[in-house]
Amino acid sequence: MAQMGTGAGIHSLSSQVIEHYFPNLSGDNNLITSPQTPEYNCIAWAAEDTEAWWWPDRNDQYYWPPSVPRTESLDSFIRAYALQGYSVCASADYEESFEKIAIYADPQGKPTHAARQLSNGHWTSKLGGMEDIEHYTLEGLHGAEYGVVALVIKREK
Amino acid sequence: MTYADPKVAITPSRHTKTWGPIYDENIGVVDSPFVFDQYKLSLEHYLAPVSRQWANPSLRFNTLKAEWEAETAHLSSVTEISIHPAYQQIIGMGTIALPYILDELRKKPGHWFWALKAITGEDPVSPSERGKIKQMAAAWLKWGRGQGYIR
Repeated sequence: MAQMGTGAGIHSLSSQVIEHYFPNLSGDNNLITSPQTPEYNCIAWAAEDTEAWWWPDRNDQYYWPPSVPRTESLDSFIRAYALQGYSVCASADYEESFEKIAIYADPQGKPTHAARQLSNGHWTSKLGGMEDIEHYTLEGLHGAEYGVVALVIKREK
Repeated sequence: MTYADPKVAITPSRHTKTWGPIYDENIGVVDSPFVFDQYKLSLEHYLAPVSRQWANPSLRFNTLKAEWEAETAHLSSVTEISIHPAYQQIIGMGTIALPYILDELRKKPGHWFWALKAITGEDPVSPSERGKIKQMAAAWLKWGRGQGYIR
């Protein structure tokens, strides 16, 4: 996990905090790949945007594609990513010619998180205002905080 | 101890509880801390309802902030971040919380925008700045200076 060079103590603390929130993660199935930053979140990161925090909040304070309804629903998220060329697919399995995003949702079906597949088949996630991580499986982030993967979308590379 | 000879009345600290006048190196003679505290208290009571007063707003704010940050740092949902009970209690502090929120925003941009809008009823962030945390923070800090919340 020594990717950042910010000091083993700090790094170890971040790992402990992350593994506290996500007990399916452990030292041998994820890597921290960025410093903490509040400037973007997982939804933006999945869309490869590191300039804004995406969320369809009803206060109209955060970024959301203007043509997409500001509702916290899977449909709204599908439509937001459709503008990036993504469409719903059946499997999260790695396919050489496709990029994939997995959208997590809570038991009520409300989106909580998005992870983007990397070319090695692993997944990259921005954890709220914390770090980006590379996690080897989608199940690594399953649990009380993000729920489970509700759907997967893909686009051609 | 007389006002005529303030140096006689020097106390070790302005925070020392004393009923007499004290001498401050920067501003000379000041009234007794008791009178000063009563003045501050009456001003706070004038600016916000008594029901919103906390014995120590700074301590209250920082305690709630720490709880909120610890429990929401990993979340992306602005809604979930903002409906956290500690965050809602900060909103409940009303205008008393504004200097603390703005100071926090100055030190480390974060998700204070819901609270600021809820407390003030305003939103100085332009549509093109939505989601851009540093720009949103800058817009609110400019607003705070304009309103006199930031010196």
